[in-house]
Amino acid sequence: MTERRVEEERRGFSRRAFLQGAGGVAAASSLTEAVHAAQDPASEVQRMRGPEEVELRVNGGTLPATVEPRTTLLDALRHRVDPPLTGTKLVCGEGACGACTVLVDGRPMYACMLLAADVVGREIRTVEGLADGDGLSPVQEAFCEKDGLMCGFCTPGFLMSATGLLERKPDADAEEVRRALSGNFCRCGTQPHIFEAVAEAGRRLREGGR
Amino acid sequence: MSSTPRTAAAAALQEGEAPRERIKVTKVVDGEVVEEWIEVAASDDAPRWQAREDLRLLDSDLRRVDGPAKVTGRARYTHDVRLPGMKYGRLVRCPYPAARCTVDVDSATALPGVRVVLTIDDGETRYLGQPVAAVAADTPELAEDAVRALAVRFEELPWAVTRDQALAEDAAPVGRDGNVADVRTDGDLDAAEAALATCDATVEATYEVPVQHHVCLETHGVVVDYRGGDEATIYASTQWTHVVHRERLPERLGLEGSQVESVVEYMGGGFGSKFPTGIEGRMACELSRELGAPVHMMLTRRDEFLLAGNRSGTHQTVRAGATADGKLRAMVSEVDKLGGIGRGSHPGLPYVYDVETSHLRIRSVLTNLDSNRAMRAPGHPQASFAMESTVDELAHQLGIDGLEFRKRNLASLVYHRQLDAVAEAVGWADHPNKVGPDTSDSEVKTGIGFGVSTWGTRGRPACVVTVRIGPDGAVTVLSGTQDLGTGTRTYVAAIVAEELALPLDAVEARIGHSSYGAANGSGGSTTVPCLAPAVKDAAHKARVAVLARVAEVLGADPARLALHRGQVIHLERPDERLGWAEACSALGADGLTTTGEWVASLTDAGVHGAQAARVQVDTLTGQVKLEKIACMQDCGLPLNRLAVRSQINGAIVEALSYGLFEERVVDPDLGVMLNACLGDYKIAGCADIPEIVAMIDDEDTRGPIGIGEPPIIPTHSAIANAIFNACGVRLRSMPLSCDKILDGLVANGTWAGGEA
Repeated sequence: MTERRVEEERRGFSRRAFLQGAGGVAAASSLTEAVHAAQDPASEVQRMRGPEEVELRVNGGTLPATVEPRTTLLDALRHRVDPPLTGTKLVCGEGACGACTVLVDGRPMYACMLLAADVVGREIRTVEGLADGDGLSPVQEAFCEKDGLMCGFCTPGFLMSATGLLERKPDADAEEVRRALSGNFCRCGTQPHIFEAVAEAGRRLREGGR
Repeated sequence: MSSTPRTAAAAALQEGEAPRERIKVTKVVDGEVVEEWIEVAASDDAPRWQAREDLRLLDSDLRRVDGPAKVTGRARYTHDVRLPGMKYGRLVRCPYPAARCTVDVDSATALPGVRVVLTIDDGETRYLGQPVAAVAADTPELAEDAVRALAVRFEELPWAVTRDQALAEDAAPVGRDGNVADVRTDGDLDAAEAALATCDATVEATYEVPVQHHVCLETHGVVVDYRGGDEATIYASTQWTHVVHRERLPERLGLEGSQVESVVEYMGGGFGSKFPTGIEGRMACELSRELGAPVHMMLTRRDEFLLAGNRSGTHQTVRAGATADGKLRAMVSEVDKLGGIGRGSHPGLPYVYDVETSHLRIRSVLTNLDSNRAMRAPGHPQASFAMESTVDELAHQLGIDGLEFRKRNLASLVYHRQLDAVAEAVGWADHPNKVGPDTSDSEVKTGIGFGVSTWGTRGRPACVVTVRIGPDGAVTVLSGTQDLGTGTRTYVAAIVAEELALPLDAVEARIGHSSYGAANGSGGSTTVPCLAPAVKDAAHKARVAVLARVAEVLGADPARLALHRGQVIHLERPDERLGWAEACSALGADGLTTTGEWVASLTDAGVHGAQAARVQVDTLTGQVKLEKIACMQDCGLPLNRLAVRSQINGAIVEALSYGLFEERVVDPDLGVMLNACLGDYKIAGCADIPEIVAMIDDEDTRGPIGIGEPPIIPTHSAIANAIFNACGVRLRSMPLSCDKILDGLVANGTWAGGEA
């Protein structure tokens, strides 16, 4: 008779299991300290010991959220702000598929690979922040026009990657578009229409759209 | 529109009987398409599709009506449902392919925030990853903690996870009656052997296809909104809104079916795997009943790979032959379907092509892995790989090019025109090496390969559709169907708008609620052929009813009234016209409601499809670069051309991913799946997508037919043939990976790196 605890992640060496196994919060902080220090030498490093209320800057506003040290930005958006921002999707949870892509200070990043506590003070944009009231952004508009979506579950992630690219480089060529979107998976196979949509959105942005 | 009486119906009427006609319909049972004959009323005043040139909306490019909801994040999927007091459920899986297990419930319930642990069939498990318990906790993180904390005692039992293990003499018993099931033969073996002996060219080969996963981006799951009391709502990520009732989930809550509403507003991909709500649906209800609180139970990505179904693997041994003039004469094949504890899918061989004499032995080989489920054209892509490869091997032996050889063995001229179209699209006419591999000096070789497909589903009476017109002219169409991303909601609205001569945005399509009416599950490409006729019927009745009421008010003959561009017009008195809203005020305070049902004459069955792939193979690295894939598909009346092209693109992307990358890897010694996550299970990404030319065969003038399945059938086969045409390496096992190509180049002495 063998006995084995049923474990979700230990076998698969996930980041979360690693952090917990390696001393949890301390490990998380030391890793992120280094990142913060590299990016902003003046930043104050704060250690978390348990659930804490933080303020996240999301889509131009400030949202309070109670997060644990292990809470990812994705989980914070989907479960810990009120009302929850469920436009950003969880698909793989390990930085492989891009469904949770958000813009952090304008750059596309996987929200499942960021700890919520680490992005306090940084400017986060989600799919809910793209439209201006009922007016869709040029990227959103082009996705609708070119049918760059089917089931729609990957769509928010693709929109954020495309927006991040075009805001940086509205004249991105086809190869650059493909490269910028290569971190996003779509299982319905909308990629050909997404490429058309991003090209069209780029054209509109260059012609003076929003 | 003309209304020529149908002969059978007219004859029946003369005899004073209600006219009936017998038609063959298809339905999907356990993922397999089954045909049956039924009788339906034959009506002389049945609605008919307008001539193509008279259509304003259908047969053109329509933006999907739910696009804005999906691009703003407003579309709420099951995964996104948030309810007051909601608990999060998780399943606990068995880590062995077979085991006896005992669950220590207290080990997890001791944790704060963990509300309940239920065991599932405490006893023996039969497949790797089979759930043994379910937990519910206050947050997703706490539910995960509960899964980790739960102590389960496992006693490993003998198991088999590969075909070889299952067929070994001392194999562990997987099924009650052994490890081989459903053995079937077809054809005369002696005749086929005799024919084979007379062939001018023969091939003997084994073609292996691994298990593919659906990889729906939204995992399977449900949210059960039950808070005690006598009603509940079940949100489900399913491709069949009504499955909740069919699986009797209300009983699990102690409720009657009528007390439970099921909701599938948006769902993140199914591809055949989401007919059942499965063990997660059942356990969510039991947890919810236990707690008297809503339960959110979505599978994890790892669950998804281990217990949510797959496309069965296949082992196919073929001996086939052709005559010198390029006709397929004989085929003897043995097919093993590998669907874990399921039976697997395969339509049999020969597939599509005409072979003079053949014999087939087909069977299921069982292993201790989770059951296969339906997956887009169940069994057909597997059969296509063996058949198209065989066809290509024989063509090459006989020195006949792949296009010409196919035409000689396909009776339907539809295939001929479609093959010509895709050949032209990939530059076949100028292709220098049509028969043999590329012999140019370049290290990078270019090849073109072909494949064809078939699909058959006709609709059946399954949907009841309601059209409501308010006295203010508001038009709503209701159906209990669901939109998997195919664009169902859009064509439902478009059919009604077309019939009522209104703009698309004047019609609101409400779908995905069980109370909106009976509807079939979306599988086997049956949504369009079952649903579109019922929508058309309801819209047609609404048009007739509106004109009748308006005629009463105007004192006009309804036959002289027509709807045109949002107005009611009088055919003889063109100056007398009413705006739509004004006309609808004649309907009275209640407006009007019509219901539509299936009309056989509004759909058809049987489609073809041809594809060509143009690839480059680097003979130094074995890397394959897809240059271009072209597809021509007939689908009857395209309800939304843009969405049809999206479907074709999508099928090709999923199939090229299947061909080049996908494979479930199970360690035969340890009995564990090695790539049960998206980091390790490779699917095609943006960098892998070639130019795709999706063509609709407009010579097909029939009523609308679903085509979710057929374009996924031949892509990988065409790629395998293109790889051979490029570099002379015949890959007989998928995925078509560069290591196998390198092995082949080295074996052929054509590796660009020189002597290995």
